[in-house]
Amino acid sequence: MSHFALTIIGHDRPGIVAKVAEILYRLGCNIADSSSTILGGQFAMILIISHPRFRDGAAFGQAFEDLEAEGLSVFLRQLRPGEETAPKLEGELCMISVYGSDKPGIVYPVVKALEERRINITDLNTKLIGTADQPIYVMVIEALLPPGQELTELDAALAQLKAALQVDISLRPITPVEL
Amino acid sequence: MAVREILLYPHPILKEICTPVTRFDAATDGLIQDLLDTMIAAGHSVGVAAPQIGIPWRVVVVDVSHSKLGRDANHGQLVLVNPDILEREGHCISREGCMSVPDYTGNVARAASVVVAFCDRSGERRVIRANGFEAIALQHEIDHLDGLLFLDRVSSLKTDLFRRKHR
Repeated sequence: MSHFALTIIGHDRPGIVAKVAEILYRLGCNIADSSSTILGGQFAMILIISHPRFRDGAAFGQAFEDLEAEGLSVFLRQLRPGEETAPKLEGELCMISVYGSDKPGIVYPVVKALEERRINITDLNTKLIGTADQPIYVMVIEALLPPGQELTELDAALAQLKAALQVDISLRPITPVEL
Repeated sequence: MAVREILLYPHPILKEICTPVTRFDAATDGLIQDLLDTMIAAGHSVGVAAPQIGIPWRVVVVDVSHSKLGRDANHGQLVLVNPDILEREGHCISREGCMSVPDYTGNVARAASVVVAFCDRSGERRVIRANGFEAIALQHEIDHLDGLLFLDRVSSLKTDLFRRKHR
């Protein structure tokens, strides 16, 4: 079975999900993992889909042209075999909150510090809040600390960034509990 | 007695409303021992409910004393027959998973403190107040007795910070 990543983005309005789901249903596609959300005024969908017979993107034909005619952007990416499953990553899951008065250059130094430590970001949200006079930037990251790395080391590195960037940063483990 | 296999969703027993225990006889005691053995054998587990091992009776066992989150506030090993949550207080969110629903976790909002009435292994009626992780574990396991999984309680999609009401 071939797997594909499908992304659809467009101005938010009711009915986008239903249209996309109907097209996929009529094609005979399976929807596996997916995530959809509103960012700004845009609705963004990311779906991993599969089809028992479709071998490549061409097999979808003009299936998405109605969506595009309605102003939605559609992108289809074919996955190589095995790419549809996530490897089981070991480590300690943690949340990092970064927030402060909005200014250029908040995101990069923080994620660079994570990348330098081979810390894998598993989820990341940013949002501009506050008022027009006083915009506040908020970034929340869920990340996986590789085995052997201590939370305290990362905390110390983030404390340096906090001073350098003049933003607030906090770090905490989230320990998923299996009950 | 025996370590039992943990049933996985979609086993239908996991969605049943379980029956109250009426007799503290050998069958009930055997079930309790199986639950304890199963909980201990599943090294990472802090609780097991009877339906998870295939018995639709209102019995759960909980022990958070060996886990990092529950070490500092707990009642040790608890056997709860016909448990009933009398009071709920406070609010906390934690990332829960379940042995019966592998490979998935979700943020679940629960009371931070609960008062639970139950019968212990000898049939003695007890009432305890549990806080923190022990309270979460109790609510999770007692939910199993009503056919509820944490999936029925998921309160937000991962980061819930941005999903609160608009100002």
